[in-house]
Amino acid sequence: MFSKTRSLLVVGFLVCAVTLIGVAPLAQAGSPKEIKIGVLFPLSGGLASTGALIRQGAELAADIVNDKWPNLDIPMAKWEGIPSLGGAKIKLIVMDHRSDPARGADLAKRLIEDEKVVGIMGCYNSSVTKSVSTVCERYGVPMINSNSTSPLLTRRGYNWFWRTTPDNITFTVDLFKFLEGLVEGKVRGVGKIPREELDDLAIAGEETEYGTTGAELLKEMAPEYGCRVVKYILYAHESPDLTSESQAMQAANPDCVLFIPYVSDVILYMRTFRSLRFSPHIIWGQDAGTVQPDFARVLGKDANGVITRTVFIPEVAIKVKPIAAQINNVYKERTGEDLSGTSARAFTGIQAWAYVLDKAGSTEPKAIQKACNEIYISPDDIIMLWGGINFGSTTPDEKGQNVLGMGMIGQWQWKDGKNVLEAVYPFDYATADMIYPFPEWE
Amino acid sequence: MALAAEITASGILMGSIFALVALGLTLIFGVMNVVNFAHGEFLMIGMYSAFLISTFLSIEPLVSLPFVAVVGFLLGIITYYLLIRYLLRGPMIAQLFGTFGLMLFLRYLVMFILGPNPRVLHQGVLIGKSVSLSWFTFDISKLAAAGFSILLFVLVSWMIERTKLGRALRATSIDAEAAGYMGIDTEKMNALAWGIGGATAGIAGGLLANFYYITPTVGMLFIMIAFATVALGGFGSIRGAFIAGLIVGLIMMVAGYYLSQIKLAFVYLAYFLVVVLRPRGLFGW
Amino acid sequence: MVGKMKAVVGVLKDTFSFNDLPLSERIAFAAFLVFVFFFPWIVHTSYPRVVMIRFLLFAMYGLGWNLIGGYGGQVDLGQAKNVGFGAFATALMITWWGVPFWITVPVGITVAVVESFAVAYPMFRLRGHYFAIATLCVALVWQKLFLFWDWTGGARGVELPIKSAPNFTYMQFGTIGYHYFIFALFMAEFLFMNWFRKSKMSYELQAVRDNEDAAASLGINVTWTKVKTYLITAAMGAVGGSFYAVYHLYIDPRCVMQLDLSILIAMTAMVGGAGSIWGPILGAAILIPLDMYLGALLGGMGFYGIDFIIYALIIMVIAAREPRGIWGIIERARRRGYVLRG
Repeated sequence: MFSKTRSLLVVGFLVCAVTLIGVAPLAQAGSPKEIKIGVLFPLSGGLASTGALIRQGAELAADIVNDKWPNLDIPMAKWEGIPSLGGAKIKLIVMDHRSDPARGADLAKRLIEDEKVVGIMGCYNSSVTKSVSTVCERYGVPMINSNSTSPLLTRRGYNWFWRTTPDNITFTVDLFKFLEGLVEGKVRGVGKIPREELDDLAIAGEETEYGTTGAELLKEMAPEYGCRVVKYILYAHESPDLTSESQAMQAANPDCVLFIPYVSDVILYMRTFRSLRFSPHIIWGQDAGTVQPDFARVLGKDANGVITRTVFIPEVAIKVKPIAAQINNVYKERTGEDLSGTSARAFTGIQAWAYVLDKAGSTEPKAIQKACNEIYISPDDIIMLWGGINFGSTTPDEKGQNVLGMGMIGQWQWKDGKNVLEAVYPFDYATADMIYPFPEWE
Repeated sequence: MALAAEITASGILMGSIFALVALGLTLIFGVMNVVNFAHGEFLMIGMYSAFLISTFLSIEPLVSLPFVAVVGFLLGIITYYLLIRYLLRGPMIAQLFGTFGLMLFLRYLVMFILGPNPRVLHQGVLIGKSVSLSWFTFDISKLAAAGFSILLFVLVSWMIERTKLGRALRATSIDAEAAGYMGIDTEKMNALAWGIGGATAGIAGGLLANFYYITPTVGMLFIMIAFATVALGGFGSIRGAFIAGLIVGLIMMVAGYYLSQIKLAFVYLAYFLVVVLRPRGLFGW
Repeated sequence: MVGKMKAVVGVLKDTFSFNDLPLSERIAFAAFLVFVFFFPWIVHTSYPRVVMIRFLLFAMYGLGWNLIGGYGGQVDLGQAKNVGFGAFATALMITWWGVPFWITVPVGITVAVVESFAVAYPMFRLRGHYFAIATLCVALVWQKLFLFWDWTGGARGVELPIKSAPNFTYMQFGTIGYHYFIFALFMAEFLFMNWFRKSKMSYELQAVRDNEDAAASLGINVTWTKVKTYLITAAMGAVGGSFYAVYHLYIDPRCVMQLDLSILIAMTAMVGGAGSIWGPILGAAILIPLDMYLGALLGGMGFYGIDFIIYALIIMVIAAREPRGIWGIIERARRRGYVLRG
């Protein structure tokens, strides 16, 4: 009965195939002069282009820390590695989580135990940030988040999670303050606008963690600022057509349309609005989709007048923050595009890592945790207009949130054949007259 | 009243576009019982070829349609000879996964070559133009796509039902073996079905490019809708695909207007209810 | 009484006996079990262990799917909905009421079975592609509803409370603990399959698969046989889902109920060889490490999609060259072996 071929084959297949799992990655000895940081982003699927931006921002920051940059005035350009760690270089280990929380968690384990990273940065999608931060919490490994803005993330009492970017609450308050500013006539280039022209809101949120929480926040806060929500939509990004959603908004006749979108869906919305000749007074986007260079480049003239919340505006950088303008130039040389809210936040996330490591003077998790909780990065060191970086809490249930962050509102303006993002809020930093109302479609 | 008219109009408009997307799928299925998961990717390649041809040769996107059709045709033929021919020997499930693999392959091959960033056509006679009626504003590019959809459906049904080629295709679909005895080169007929299916997907892509954004992952937005459309109408039925397309379009518009979040659920549910009553779809045979 | 005892002993014997399999297969499987059992002590890095857990989970999913898809020959592309039912039952009951894990599992199974029963009868009136697309559609309807409802957490998902590990009430461990946990579940399911393989139901099911009319003329209730199998498959999916929830501690309808998961589950069985008890294990042993290592090694390199391209090429080659999967290759080689010796 016993067949040699058969047994060989069966044993061979079963065992060999499974042994494939056992092929451990080549253990890298890793010189002490190198500090690894695991970076998790979506680099495939619908968010691949966003992941590319984040990657570019993060890599630029690492290069500026590691190499000598005599022409840059930002302090860390003189470091050539982390000073308190004997000039150790930062090495980013980038991985693609494919927008899947489970894969993100698995890769985080790989980064922590196999690659021996000192910490993790990521993950853009708020849902993946959740699962990855859970892994970090269990392993006791620090994680700094630069791009996820769901307010829930810093409200879970985690001891190993810090976030540099302001969250959606800050941005939502900014929006309403901006609308009040319009009523009070504080916005550059626009007179006082009657409140009736601005108080009917239509909210359209993308059906993910980020979009849902963002939309709910807007809905909750609107009455506090005397606004009414006339249409509230959550839509699926896998929907091939958004005509009926746009028609429903048009029928509700809102003054402001507020999006919490990713990039491809907001492009589709704008094109549909154009075909419906639907132009509300204000079209505002909650960062992710509307802030990206792709959005402006793809829509061209149609993006003219769209308002977006952001944290970085090149025009402001040129005027008030020389170091930011320098960094922007380096970035532009590399990629051909200006820094955007997305890439600038990734840059700042890695920068925060560098400062935390420098303050900790060690790669021990406990030391890094202590450094994170105590760190203060001065506003002169960063490219943002923030008051610096200091992790604390704005409310008692919050933990690890950068309390010095600040949001901005920019407007895409079509000038000489290209879109320029001009600042309109904070009012003191306005770089151009605001276009109000949103221009009628031709 | 105006609202009902508006929703119906846009439902019919989008419905005929969904039907156009599904045409190639039902054609291929009708001839050889293969469901093509990569159909959305054929569409995406059609969109990219329309974009690349009209941008680099700076010609009108509508003029690029014949070229796009040729690209789609060749893609279909190549797919048939390199992959489908072998899949046909296996069970249905191997066919599903073979085309699923093809879907991933084409999607990420395009992303690998052209990058992940979205693109949009800016120049063209149809782009961004609308006709306003008192109660509704029509997007001309969508109107044109719907018109082409009807045209293609008429053309393809004519070809299948009236021409010698169509009779050979139908013979192959009913009984490939018998068709072989009758002197029909069934291999060639299968390849032709893939070619025509690919060409219609390419044309659909070329028309969509006029009002849609183009990314390597755009195919996955359409593939499930196309499946539901084809199955609802009855696999292999051309007339069924068109009517099912209209039904799907109307459901999506009405549901999308009131309950956007679960509008796709209504489409899938409609399919489920229809096949419970008619297990071979509306017009299946 | 004695008759009952005898029946129980018979079932137990069928469950634990592998005597009908060739010696070579038994040796190979024993070697495999020993290897998996000692795996955490052979390999000391984390990622291989994580991949191993994922492999066992998908082998388990695949074994369950193999019932309806392999032995039953019904192409079910909606297994993700059952995974979702299990995962949500566990996650929600633990976060809301702190119910111990082992009580949530039967609840998840019940939900999956009841739902499957409700859709099974209309569904099994369909044949071929109509059935496949219908299972897909039903799974997607559930995903949309779970995203839409508030009580499921919607798109925000559910985060399970973290306990200090190891915790046997809520089943939270380190990686090694999870390894043995999933290994035990896998073994339980495997032994069940071993019993099933030899049961009357299995023969009825295969008769139905091969020729429904002939099976009906033998007095087999065709629809009920299919429905029963469908329900068992659903229950197995739900168990996997419950594990997923306590393993990842975060779930949302996009990750546990997505289309890709349904397809991957069916694909593990297909690539390995549907309708054989080894098929899903072989399939998962090939697809899961391939996917995980391609993603980890090539995914971050900056060449977009290169990992997917290689993965897709391998799937296409398997589907085109060997439609009956790896098991088909082994059986062919075997037959050749007989011929050579003969």
